[in-house]
Amino acid sequence: MSSSSQEHKSKLLVFTIEECPACGQKTKRAFQVGDFVTRDGGRCPKCGNTTKITMIYAELPPKA
Amino acid sequence: MLAGLSLQFGVDVNSLINVLWLVSILVFFVYGQRLQVYIITGEISRALNRLKVMRDKSRKEAIDYFTSSGKTTGDPTQRIDEFLDYVTIMPVDMDPNGIVGKLQHITNTRDERVRAEVGQLIPNSDPTKVSVAENILEIATSLNQIHKIVRHYYLLGKKTNSYMLLFQLQMIMPMVLQEADALINAVDTFKLGQPVGDGIGPVIASRYMLNLPKQVVGKDTVMAVTEYKGRTLYVLKAEGPMGYVGEPGVAIQKLVEEMKVPLNAIIMVDAALKLEGEKTGEVAEGVGAAIGGIGVDKFKIEEVSSTQKIPVYAILVKQSLLEAITIMRKEIAEASDKVQTLINRVIEEKTKEGDKVLLAGIGNTLGVGQ
Repeated sequence: MSSSSQEHKSKLLVFTIEECPACGQKTKRAFQVGDFVTRDGGRCPKCGNTTKITMIYAELPPKA
Repeated sequence: MLAGLSLQFGVDVNSLINVLWLVSILVFFVYGQRLQVYIITGEISRALNRLKVMRDKSRKEAIDYFTSSGKTTGDPTQRIDEFLDYVTIMPVDMDPNGIVGKLQHITNTRDERVRAEVGQLIPNSDPTKVSVAENILEIATSLNQIHKIVRHYYLLGKKTNSYMLLFQLQMIMPMVLQEADALINAVDTFKLGQPVGDGIGPVIASRYMLNLPKQVVGKDTVMAVTEYKGRTLYVLKAEGPMGYVGEPGVAIQKLVEEMKVPLNAIIMVDAALKLEGEKTGEVAEGVGAAIGGIGVDKFKIEEVSSTQKIPVYAILVKQSLLEAITIMRKEIAEASDKVQTLINRVIEEKTKEGDKVLLAGIGNTLGVGQ
């Protein structure tokens, strides 16, 4: 079975990556409707600066 | 036992078996092709049913999207059904001279018409919603067309008893279903406004454009000017986070011919369909205009680069059709750092300080701002 068919069967998980422009800290969270790359994200957990969304991608859920 | 049977029925069983063999060979010889056609028509019929289910689902999704926007003026069903049969008549190519201009005119007219109609169906909606509605409508139209064409050849093959037509249709059905499957899976990604695999070019371009002033240089196309190691870098992408592809060809032509920017190099980043066996997210480097579509933008880029003697470098991120039009996979996203390193290396190796370089992120920019 190809990887594409495998993805079909198991639902992909979509994540948003927020990156702090000041300290470079990356945070991974679940995608929310309205997210887009370059949009301002939440506060950086390390330095408190406003983060930027740098990536949105999907991956297969970890195997149990 | 066989001897017993022979005695009981007064027949030689071996001869009987031989006769049966001969009869079956004769039957297969005479009716074999018909039997094969019977099996093939059954297979095509099942595939056609799958296509019908996909077509109906995409139509329903389109209607639901317009209705759920809460801004539709009346029931959009009839208008959407009319859109599913919307045709674009390609220009005559007996004399190909000047055909690109005609193609551009026709596709521009179609795009403007679709956008205006969608705008009327969901008035006062934000541009992202309108672009998503356009994309969903395009998917539904494509699936409707695929279903209609397959049904046409299936019925024609049956009607005219054309075995060869049915054989050919059966042979290409797995690829047709694969494409249809990719299209129907793309609907969810578009509805949620998530970046697609094809958006890797715009994602990379957006990194170079962040916090810079942008100017519109073509329909749905924006550009920012920055500096990289002594070179002036012109960065181009379709305007996001809407689901646009923009007009990079027109934009590059405008930059060189109207704005008189003497470019020393053009770097294009795009998604490319991988061959079976290639890994998703593999990065390939080369030369030439890395852009798909109907060919208008590619023609314009090749035209301007060849007349002005501007080298065009291409960086491609490999992916399947399904991955290109559905939510961006991790492997593709992870290739972005590698691509950025490659872009920087190309700029450093192929240009010198003071040069002017254009970086174009090609692809659908849904879910990717700038």
